[in-house]
Order: sequence, then structure tokens, then C-alpha cells
Amino acid sequence: MATRTKDIQTDAEELVTARESRAPAQQPLSVPADKPVAFPLELPESEARLRTPAVGQRASRPDGRLHGLGQTQYIDDITFPHMLHAKILRSEDPHERILSIDTSEAEKMPGVIATLTGAEIPENSFGPTYQDQPVLAYPIARHRGDGVAAVAATSEQLAADALEKIKVEYEPLPAVFDPLEAMKDDAPKVHGGDTNIYTSKTIKKGDVDKALAESDHVFHRQFRTQMVEHVPLEPHASIASWDGNGRVTLWTSLGRITLGREDLARTLAMPQSKIRLIGTVVGGNFGGKNEITNEPILALLSKKSGRPVKSVFTRGDEFVSSTIRHPFIMDYTTGVSKDGKILARKIRLVLDGGAYCSWTGTTIGKGSILAPGPYNIDHVLVEAYAVYTNKTTTGAMRGFGAPQVCFAYESQMDDIAHELGIDPLEIRLRNGFSENSLSPTSQTLQSVALKESLTQAADRFGWKEWQA
Amino acid sequence: MLVELKVNGEPRSADVPPETTLLKMLREQLGLTGAKLGCDVGDCGTCTVIVDGVSVNSCLMLAARANGADVTTIEGLANSNELHPLQEKFEEHGALQCGFCGPGMLMSAKNLLDKNPEPSVFEIRDALAGNLCRCTGYTKIIEAVIDAGRAMNSAQTSA
Repeated sequence: MATRTKDIQTDAEELVTARESRAPAQQPLSVPADKPVAFPLELPESEARLRTPAVGQRASRPDGRLHGLGQTQYIDDITFPHMLHAKILRSEDPHERILSIDTSEAEKMPGVIATLTGAEIPENSFGPTYQDQPVLAYPIARHRGDGVAAVAATSEQLAADALEKIKVEYEPLPAVFDPLEAMKDDAPKVHGGDTNIYTSKTIKKGDVDKALAESDHVFHRQFRTQMVEHVPLEPHASIASWDGNGRVTLWTSLGRITLGREDLARTLAMPQSKIRLIGTVVGGNFGGKNEITNEPILALLSKKSGRPVKSVFTRGDEFVSSTIRHPFIMDYTTGVSKDGKILARKIRLVLDGGAYCSWTGTTIGKGSILAPGPYNIDHVLVEAYAVYTNKTTTGAMRGFGAPQVCFAYESQMDDIAHELGIDPLEIRLRNGFSENSLSPTSQTLQSVALKESLTQAADRFGWKEWQA
Repeated sequence: MLVELKVNGEPRSADVPPETTLLKMLREQLGLTGAKLGCDVGDCGTCTVIVDGVSVNSCLMLAARANGADVTTIEGLANSNELHPLQEKFEEHGALQCGFCGPGMLMSAKNLLDKNPEPSVFEIRDALAGNLCRCTGYTKIIEAVIDAGRAMNSAQTSA
């Protein structure tokens, strides 16, 4: 215990020394221009890494050198002897029941080594919040991008050709596309049951209805945001290799390998100790590579064929079958006093979830908490609903719902400022969080530099001059 | 079909199916994986290489069309002793984030500086219009190209 305290003291002293020893003008911490490329490659130790605190210092990326040389190995740059290429056949309509899948013609093609359908997957469901998503849809496909069968062949071209030989018989089912329609009792149910609402959240503070009634002005407006695809330049890619000891190794562009291993263990019905996941350099994630996609398919194709199997999404696959940002429908009702003080805010959020849950749990949470904005409001009510529709699955994307609600509350701040004839900056300064403000969930906030940041930014970009 | 071409100054050849793109041939037959496949339809520019002095989307060019051509890829930009000024400046400015657009971006920039040693910001933006960066690092990329152009010009003047 004593040693521990001493350590902390020493660390603190070192930190102070380091801070004091920092020269006022920092040299850019980049690679000297005269330094030649030396092999074996010895990367320069960034000075920022040696000093604490590093804030305010310029650092160069340790992997920048290999990126610039074109020597960084992304998944598609890795190959193995006898490696096969897999392609996935996707459903044709937004909602349909698969009556039969016949892969026999594809299997007869020279060069086609293995095929796979949903019925062959040991536990055909996964997901980071709820396990509601099939690896390959069976018996029901719930959106246009659901995979229904996969082929592994000796070349990518052969695998693509083989998909055309797979015969799938479908029975179309009624589909729903608008989240508000999907909330109605008589709407087709994407996952059966009696409702398409699969998760909800309520945040309540004070008495919002009373405060609205007592407000001088009440503003109401509906805001909507659209779906957004991450479009990472490197498409989803993985390689699976099943070995003779019954273990599987996966090289994957997946960002969350620990969670991915859990999902793989579930879908493959085997212990995590037999699954090795290697997360490689990722060519852009932005939230879209936070859960498994085709990894279990490749693992099983590798098991069937006894050969390593690679798959790289086409740009089309990327758009239809990877996750996207949740479109939000946001109803904002805000009560304001004569002098522009926000008294109450009532918000209803409807998240268009698409066919499966994915990271909706996190998105609805963050979106709801942040929905009232960074403003001191005593009376708040947020009601949020996530709804299934027969569309592309929505999931994590930069901010988990934060940008959507930011668009709504800041747009409404401008509406209020305009209507009351108050400067848009001034209305934010009157209502904005300051030190020890309470968040909508009553968390005490510290290190709040909102007003200082706004004032400084306004000074720098000439807000007053622009207003004049 | 046999395709013979010069890549980064070396004569190379491969026997490829007729539908093979130059990108596929470079990556799969010649082991040059620096040029990337991002969209396969010529939108993203990750596959950019220089063919006979013109920057091209190698995913759109059949390997057979490059028969006899002089091709430069990202692997031909540095030698074992020094980085190309563009590589150096991209690294220094933090213009490479996830790095996937890097090789294509660098080749488009090289092609620009080869022809126009002192491009304006507008000309740089125009030359890189076919190369997407989803990490949204364009500002740093443009700064790096300006800086590299200056470094190349001052090296030439002092020589």
C-alpha cells in the first residue's frame, strides 16, 4: 500500500517536471526530412509519446510510413496457398419467406468447392444488443440485403458466376418502410409479435406539461434526418481458416474483436477458446465495422472445404448489407420565457431501425440523453422509440445518435432566436451549460467550457462583423 | 492471354484471363498490393496508378490494354534510400489516416506535380477530385501536396 502511494507521488512529480520542462514553442514532431528509408524499417519514436501530457503537441502517426509506401497490409492484401473466394447471394425483396434453396447446380460447376445456407448454421443469430439478426436469412429474409446463400470457389469470378446458379423460391410477405407507419397496430410485423417497437427510452425531469403551459412562447417543429452509409474505402473483408485441430482463425477488418469472438462462438456453437480472431489494419471503420458480418459464413465454408476462404464485400454489398446511420424523426416542443430562457422541452424521437437491432441500444440511449441539448432546462421529457422496418439495418455510426439530435435542437435554437429577435449566439450563452450544470439525467458536469468555446469561436470567425 | 508491360521500370508479364483488369493483374499476378480495390467502378480512386504518364483508375482498365505500357505504382515511388517528397510530406502533415486512399492519392498527386510543379490549391483539388478520403483528411492532403511541390522545386533550384 505504501509503495503504491509512493508511486503515485513519484508519478505526479514527474508529471509536473514534464510539464515545466516543456518548451513554450513546440517543434513539429515529424520525421526529419533528411532521414532515408532504412530497412529493416525502424520507425521514429514520436516525441509526444515520450512526454506527458501530450496535449497540444504535434505527433506523427506511427503507421504513416507504411501507409505512404503502400506496404500496409489490409485484409485483401493477404493471401494464402489454396485460398478460396466467397460470395454471398442476397434476397430479392424487402420481406419474404424462403420456401426452398437449391444449390446443386452451383455445386456442379468446376471450381466451386463449397456452398452454405442459413439452415446449416449451428446458431443462426447474432447482434450486439439483441441477437435478432441471422447470419444467412432462413426461413425469413427481412430486407433487400439479407444474405441467403454463400459460395466458395477457386476465384472470385467463379464464385460470382455460381451465385447465378442458385435457385431460391420465395413467398413475398407484406413489408413496411416508414417507421411511423410501422408503429401502427395494423402494420406488417417485421419480426412477428404484436409490435415493431423493439426498444424505447424515457427521460423525465420536472413537470414538462405544467412548465410548457406557463411559458411565454411555445415552439413546435418536426425534424427528420436521413440514412447515411459509412462508405469506408476498404470494404468489409475477412479470411477464415479452419485447422485440423478443429480451431478456426479469422483475419478480419472487424473493429471489436472481443465482441466478435463472442458472436462467433455463439453462431458456430463452439467455445471461444477454439476461435482466434486477428484484427488487422482497418481502412476506415466509422462505426460500421463494429459487429460481425460474414465471418461465421467464411468459417463454415472453410470447415467444409478444408481451405482458407476470403471474402471482400463489393461496394454494392457494403451499401445494402452493412449497417447505416439511423434516420430520426424528431418532434421538439420547447417552452421559452420572454427573455429567451428555455423553461421546458418535450421531445419525441422515432428511430428507423431497419430490419435488425444492431447497435440501436447504444444509439437510442445516447440520442435520448443528448436530445435536450447542452442547455440548462428544468423540465424535460424525452420519449424515444426504435422501430423495425424492412430496410437496411441501422447501427453504430460516429456519435451514436448524437449528430441527429444536435441537428434538431440547434435548428430549433435558431428558430427561437429568430422569432424572439435575440442574437443566435446570445440565446445559446443565456441557456448553455456552465460548470456544475446538471445534464438531462442529472449528472453534475465538470470542466464545462461551452460558453468560453462559443465566445472564442465567435470572435475568431467574426460573428459580430458578419451580423453587422 | 499474355500481357507484357513495364512496371516501376522493370519488365513484367503475366498470363491472365481476358476480363482481368490492370488492378487485378498488379495485385494478384505481380504481387503489387499497394493499389487498392475500393469500389471497382472508378469512383473512389484507391486503385490509381500512372500509365504512360497519365493517372488512371486501374480497376477500369483491362490488363490487355496496358500491354506494352510503362506503369508506375505506389511501390515505385520510393527507392530503398529515400522517400519521394510526397510520401515524406504526407507523413509529416498527417495526411494519411486509415491509409487506404493513400496510394491512389499519392499517385494522383505525383502525376500532377510531374506536369505542374507549382500547382494552385484549385489545381490540386481538381487533380485529386477522383480520389476519395472518407477519414475526411483533405485539408492535410492538400497542404502536403503544396509542401511537397515546394520541396521538389527548391531541390531542383539548388541542384
